[in-house]
Amino acid sequence: MNKIYKLFINENIKTWKKFATKLLIVIVLLALIGSMGLVKFIKYMNGRNDITYNSATDWKTSAKEEKQNLSEAIQNDVLDKQLIESYKAQIEKIDMALEENINPYSSYWKSELLNQILEAKMNNLGNNVVQELTQVLKSDDYTKYIEFEKDKVKKSLEKKDITQQEYNDKIIILDLKAKKEIGKTEEDKQYWQTYLISKIENAQSSVRTGVDYKNNNVLTLEEKQKYEEEVLIGIYSIENDIAPLEFADSTGNYRIMFESIATGFVMAMIGIFAIIIAGGVISTEHSSGTIKFWALTPNKRWKILLSKTLSVMFYIVTLTLIMAILTVICGELFFEGNGTQYMYVKDGTVTSIGSLLLMIELYFAKSIPVIIFALFAIMISTVTRNTAVAVSFGVATYIGNGIAMAIINQFIKKDWVKFIPFNNLNIADKIFPNMTNMMSMTGNNYATSTSLWFSLGVLGVCAVLMIVTMHDSFNHKDII
Amino acid sequence: MLLEKGMRLKMANTILEIKNLSKSFGKRKVIDNISLEVKEGEVYGFLGPNGSGKTTTIKMILRLIDNDGGEIKVNGYDTKKQFEKAMEYIGAIVENPDMYKYMTGRDNLKLHARIRNVDSKRIDEVLDLVGLKDRADEKVGKYSLGMKQRLGLALTLLHKPKILVLDEPTNGLDPAGIKQLRDILKEIAHNDGVAVFVSSHILSEMQLMCDKVAVLDNGKIVKTEEITNDEESGIENIEIRVNNKEKAIEILKDKFNMELKTQSKHIEITTSVVQIPSIVKELAINDVGIRAIVPKEHTLEDIFFDATKGGRGNE
Repeated sequence: MNKIYKLFINENIKTWKKFATKLLIVIVLLALIGSMGLVKFIKYMNGRNDITYNSATDWKTSAKEEKQNLSEAIQNDVLDKQLIESYKAQIEKIDMALEENINPYSSYWKSELLNQILEAKMNNLGNNVVQELTQVLKSDDYTKYIEFEKDKVKKSLEKKDITQQEYNDKIIILDLKAKKEIGKTEEDKQYWQTYLISKIENAQSSVRTGVDYKNNNVLTLEEKQKYEEEVLIGIYSIENDIAPLEFADSTGNYRIMFESIATGFVMAMIGIFAIIIAGGVISTEHSSGTIKFWALTPNKRWKILLSKTLSVMFYIVTLTLIMAILTVICGELFFEGNGTQYMYVKDGTVTSIGSLLLMIELYFAKSIPVIIFALFAIMISTVTRNTAVAVSFGVATYIGNGIAMAIINQFIKKDWVKFIPFNNLNIADKIFPNMTNMMSMTGNNYATSTSLWFSLGVLGVCAVLMIVTMHDSFNHKDII
Repeated sequence: MLLEKGMRLKMANTILEIKNLSKSFGKRKVIDNISLEVKEGEVYGFLGPNGSGKTTTIKMILRLIDNDGGEIKVNGYDTKKQFEKAMEYIGAIVENPDMYKYMTGRDNLKLHARIRNVDSKRIDEVLDLVGLKDRADEKVGKYSLGMKQRLGLALTLLHKPKILVLDEPTNGLDPAGIKQLRDILKEIAHNDGVAVFVSSHILSEMQLMCDKVAVLDNGKIVKTEEITNDEESGIENIEIRVNNKEKAIEILKDKFNMELKTQSKHIEITTSVVQIPSIVKELAINDVGIRAIVPKEHTLEDIFFDATKGGRGNE
């Protein structure tokens, strides 16, 4: 053990003193700085877009323009009746908005009410309904609108139009809307909230009916549980103001965008770094003759190879940890906001982990495939004793496996494809299933049906095989 | 018999013992059943033309190459079964003294020192011994070949090995460097009792350096020879150059009862040192016309060419 430790220390000193190592570390750092620059650039460009967007303000002019367009379209005979009807309804809606002086573009709930009034008029539901709706609309009172909606839901429950479950679901949504005033104004923040509301509604309906709203398939137990969790997480994120990644620019929370890009980009660079180091670990010693330097010491060969492997692993782990912490620090220093929150359901309640811990865990989850590829490079380096072959093979498979798997999974619909190691590299996605990935270098091309432990098992077997192969080759081949 | 064995043991322990070693690459037999012993304090030369199997043998001793048959023991430990124990006692350079070029000489030594459990004082000691103290903190990439050789020697001496195995250590050294290396090797062999096993094809060096040589040809040891210091034993080879060769030979045959080869250009005799004055006197009296009397060392060249039949290699 002591001997391996000493060899390990030597190996680290040796690697560290190489110029290439320092260069590679600089490149990894540049990846972090690059992702920062990229996000800053996106932010800058979005800022410019906002200015042009806001300049078109006068809603009445645009409403009149729209009306004009619609009435011109109706003159066209080619259109079928249904379309003409809907165009007419829209014209009427604009008329009403102009009449009542309500900006239908400014808030979602007002335009929703306008629709309802139109509907009531068309279906001849009676004047009092229309009046009631108009009153709510005119009062400009959001809480009143919610009350009105709740009332409506209650009435339909009494009429047995909807089930108790559906009623409960709708009340939850309405309460949430009232609490956070979602749909009241047309602020940036409202986008993601309405998005989440609709997502929750979809998930709720899927759970209720047992049918997937996306493709009308009957849900399995697992899928149902997933939708239930989606509801809980959606409610939690609205209550705690945690905007999803997709809305990073509209909420101005560029930090989560940065963190998402950085994890992908930096980890990809660490992967290449690891493969380059690992690919030379035995073969450069052969080509420079320094392998004898070690082989002539009183250490059995497996100890030498093991210490070298451990040293590569040590570099990956250390670099990963440093980059995780640096990502959090850079996010803290150069961006506003809280950073990424990861939410998950445990025992029926939603728990979230914050930036630092999440970044470290996420980086390490993503370093597992890197370790596998490093072992692969060491193996080729040991067997072929050729650095160029080891590094190019390693990098090629590292970059190309995503595309290769996408093609294989597309065309081979057999069960055994899940045993292909490359199909099990998305460990991070399996540890963090609720994570949306802005940029995934390894792609979402893998079979996702397998569990985390299955994937780890496949990768583990793979690693053991590679370690056995490299040791067999290194221990028995002559050093010439 | 028993006594003799006991005395030998007392005199010097066998450090390296090779028994019936053989190795084939494919069908070609590279090493054919060789056996040798290297004792404490002995500089053992391993001679042979290019391609005779010197480096292969050395690589087998160090287990860089697996041997097909036979056994190798270092200080009593089998290098195959007790590899780590056996390697504790060996210091070796094979082919070139390869180091990490991007590191300084001292850093290279430090890497080894850590594994061999040697402190930094010893690093200074060996650097001093090989005369690299001033340039130890330069990168090895900037070293000349001679300096690399010396650094390699320092590396092998670091852990005070019982046997040094050196493969062509004088390659790339200038005459001063060769002399220095020779002095160092002789010193550590004769003063510290380290066995030195050194391979070379440069005969003149081995002549000056070695106590014993084995000549390897075509994978076989064709001759083993002790290089004795003739002055001590009182026997000397001399070459006598005369005008009247026939007469001189006759005198030597008659008066001193010597067997001589007539076909060579000059007369060569082997005689005890005390007898030389009387031989010279006799020749002078008989007026054979002495031009020169040259002491002639029994050179390795003779042994070598004799054994390898003209020094042809395998190529």
